[in-house]
Amino acid sequence: MSNLLRRIEIPIFITIIFTLIQVIPYYVYIQPLDDAAAYIQRWILICLALATFVGVLSLLLTHGKNLQKRSKGWYFSAIVVVFTIVMSIVGLPLAEVGLGAANPIYLFLYNNMLQPLSGTMYAIIAFFIAAAAFRAFRARNVEASIVLLAGILMVCSNAPIFTVTWPPFKDIGTWIFAVPNMATNRAITIGAALGLVALAVRTLMGIERGYLRGGGAEQ
Amino acid sequence: MAFLEKFMDMDRRWVYLLSWIFVLAPLLYPLGLPIPINQESIGWYNYIENIPAGSTVIFAPMYGTSGIPELFPMTVATMRHLWSRPIKVIVVTFWTEGALVFNILLGQVDPTSYGKVYGTDWIHLGYIPGSETAMASFARDITGTVSADFLRGQPTTSYPIMANIRTAPDIDLIISIETGTPGYTEWLRQWQAPYAVPMIVGLIGVSVPGIAPYIQSGQVSAYLPGLTSSAEYENLIHRPGLAVAGVDAVSMSHLMVVILVVLGNIAYFASRSSKGGKK
Repeated sequence: MSNLLRRIEIPIFITIIFTLIQVIPYYVYIQPLDDAAAYIQRWILICLALATFVGVLSLLLTHGKNLQKRSKGWYFSAIVVVFTIVMSIVGLPLAEVGLGAANPIYLFLYNNMLQPLSGTMYAIIAFFIAAAAFRAFRARNVEASIVLLAGILMVCSNAPIFTVTWPPFKDIGTWIFAVPNMATNRAITIGAALGLVALAVRTLMGIERGYLRGGGAEQ
Repeated sequence: MAFLEKFMDMDRRWVYLLSWIFVLAPLLYPLGLPIPINQESIGWYNYIENIPAGSTVIFAPMYGTSGIPELFPMTVATMRHLWSRPIKVIVVTFWTEGALVFNILLGQVDPTSYGKVYGTDWIHLGYIPGSETAMASFARDITGTVSADFLRGQPTTSYPIMANIRTAPDIDLIISIETGTPGYTEWLRQWQAPYAVPMIVGLIGVSVPGIAPYIQSGQVSAYLPGLTSSAEYENLIHRPGLAVAGVDAVSMSHLMVVILVVLGNIAYFASRSSKGGKK
């Protein structure tokens, strides 16, 4: 019996059935199949909601170990552990006892710590981009010169100081966006989509087994 | 020549310092540079302005706190515009922090000042976990996927605004303000393509190149790219705000990058010619 349950065909069969239940209603309307797809989607949502708690536990375990062993940077782990516990408790959706997104502690931490810190992290990218542009945008050869020219023109088309000074900057930027950029992005999108279709077909046929434990090789 | 070589190899911390000065100075001392109105913001404005009265719109703040500096101004401006019109708005998000971002907006803009009643003219359904799967489920069964609203925790079916809203075809437009995944590609796959629900997208500057094919194909009806377009839109609705205040900093930081790149290339060619063309 246990050998039967370990057969590779079982997970492949389950994958095929559940994939087809999701895919067919996308193209053909069949009421029972559509209802089944909607029902299964709610299972997934419940699983994902539960996975959030697993995420919190995993985070606490990882940083808890760092803290226990006094590993390098353990004080950062301490901050993570303390704030994960505090935010998890005060953010529990129990409005009757004053917890949840409207809790004053939760709001204080969110508005005065998370928000400015996240904004700062995102804003720091601007410094890296400026330094990288200065070092990398050099007309070393024809290809680099094309990238440099396109980059500079796009920068100029996005800043009012340039478009006010010379309005055609905007038209040039619009053309780069709508013609060469669009063409290349379309090629990438279609290429990736074809690759995904091929992967889906391989998975449905049981050829692609990378998602199974050990890629199905040990079976 | 030694100076040029030194300039080319300038420590990146000097660039950081320059960036800091070029961004901070116009924020402290606004230059008041003119903001020309461009096609993208006009398209966005016209689309919202021409939504038929009585339509039901989904407004999705699909970003977290890191997206606030660039996207929050257009979120505020768009909601002001929507609330100034006879349109019903369903706020929902598939980003963990999206609901909280919208709460910040509620602290700054009062819907009742536009005569809007919660539950009748607008509703906040909050965050739905599950990314694209949740979007698909939401399209198939809106009130079944979200059984209670975010602000009051009451059954969604108890609100008048949800009386005739069951599935995606009951929605007239999606407005998604976003930084990444899930975002417009997921909306396209789960809402626009199967149910033909029109959508418009506000997004950060770095995401703009990727949306070009969908603009050209007409799947995305309008888009609002980054802070500069937000400033233009704020001017169009006659409510200058955060974006108008920040657009001088955008101009100055872009100017600094252009100057540095041009000088860097002059130094590169001068130093190469001094070495007889060798790199």
